[in-house]
Amino acid sequence: MTSILYHGEPNGPSLTVLAAAFEKQVDLALERIDLVAGDRHGVRVPHAMEIDQSIEGEGPVLVVDGTAMADSVFIACYLDDVGTGPALRPTDPYARWQMMAWCRYVVERLAPAASYLGLHAAPPAVIPQGIASVDLAERWREAVERRFDEAKLADSRAKVAQATDKIEAQLADHRDWLMGGFTIADLETYAWLAGMPTLVPEAFADKPLTHGWLARVKAHPSVARALSLAATAAPETVWAPGPEINRWG
Amino acid sequence: MADTGLVTLYHWEPNANSGKPMLTLFEKGVAFDSHYLDLLSFDQHKPDYLAVNPLGTIPAMTHGDRVLTESTAIMEYVDEAFPGPRLMPADPVDTWRVRWWMKFMDQWLAPSFSMIGWSVFVGPSVRQRDPAELDAAIERIPLPERRLAWRKAISGSFSPEEMAESKRRVALGIGLLEEALGQREWLGSDGYSLADINGFNLAYALPLSQPHLSNDEMTPNIMRWLRAIYARPATKACWAMGRTDMAKRVTILESEPA
Repeated sequence: MTSILYHGEPNGPSLTVLAAAFEKQVDLALERIDLVAGDRHGVRVPHAMEIDQSIEGEGPVLVVDGTAMADSVFIACYLDDVGTGPALRPTDPYARWQMMAWCRYVVERLAPAASYLGLHAAPPAVIPQGIASVDLAERWREAVERRFDEAKLADSRAKVAQATDKIEAQLADHRDWLMGGFTIADLETYAWLAGMPTLVPEAFADKPLTHGWLARVKAHPSVARALSLAATAAPETVWAPGPEINRWG
Repeated sequence: MADTGLVTLYHWEPNANSGKPMLTLFEKGVAFDSHYLDLLSFDQHKPDYLAVNPLGTIPAMTHGDRVLTESTAIMEYVDEAFPGPRLMPADPVDTWRVRWWMKFMDQWLAPSFSMIGWSVFVGPSVRQRDPAELDAAIERIPLPERRLAWRKAISGSFSPEEMAESKRRVALGIGLLEEALGQREWLGSDGYSLADINGFNLAYALPLSQPHLSNDEMTPNIMRWLRAIYARPATKACWAMGRTDMAKRVTILESEPA
């Protein structure tokens, strides 16, 4: 049975998973859904608990033999396990730990900030019906009603700048990719960062290595193929509510 | 493989993030040098430890000259780098589910448990100390978000809305755990895995801390699961390393099913 990937515009987690599937040459039926219109909460997408309660927010859904999976980094790990293309994770356990710890940082710190800034620039028009998660529904409500907190906006810009500092430092030895070889860390980091140069230009000033890396990821064949699926001219400007900003600050 | 030297674990009680790599090491049968840090004395922000982990978060592990942080990522490392029973499923979908649950607990459910725990336990435990000394201790915390969290815990300034939201999440999370454990023997798959180790560290004291939400009548599957993990020799050995009454709460699981 062919697995089905329900995905939005190639930005954020949808971009990670599309590119991972192409990189690993996994044969999937691609089903485009409009995340900004709330399609993920409608009848077209399966409503397993792990989808409804995924803390990634409006990410893609991969259905394999009746199991619906959410959370882009872990779907990418699954695709890495089952696909035949080049490995998307290092094989050495320590290098693998570095990659997973990096992805955790991106998911926990960069993704909520990017999502908040993206929604602020392009808030959705309507709150979808049928959102099972109370806290995700609240993030939709805040965005649609344009209730953005100045302190959270400032903190989100600072988080983006911290991320680009971290990337610039990681690339200091002029490596091509964040972990040495091309990995899920490149995909997930790029996917959340692609829309940020316009929104937080100061975070990208004097970061030549980061600029070079962004251009390399964008041109990488699996990423370019995912981006070619865009229905809009600038997919990096299309946002639906993502993960929440850490409640502890 | 990566077995390149001695293992040292810097940890607090067998509880929450510290207990995750501790129990994983015991399950794998990996000998390690235990370096206990008293969280309530701010040992984790003192120069000796900051030399190991400049971020001042616990736990941290060294393996030869490698330094590792982030408890869940450390668990995956320990599972991959050492011989012993595999603690991740062989099936890639099951592996996804194990990671899904660990993220859900680490980033959604556990912070709600700890907000309640800090407001009723950590805050009151340190609040009576000299304010100037506490202030100096907080100023030494490297991560700004951890400074903020400690200030809130010590001053007891979590808002009623924040506490209510944490209680909502704890109740919902317990319901989701019960449902999942009604479908499978273990949390992520049909075999014991890192998801169970992670979950036990979050939930072992549930029948004491949330008796109105978790007990033999309301959550029989959670109780079955907790007792089964507590019965494992690795768990017994790990919790024996506890030095405070916090870890001793685990003995509630010696009770007979109702």
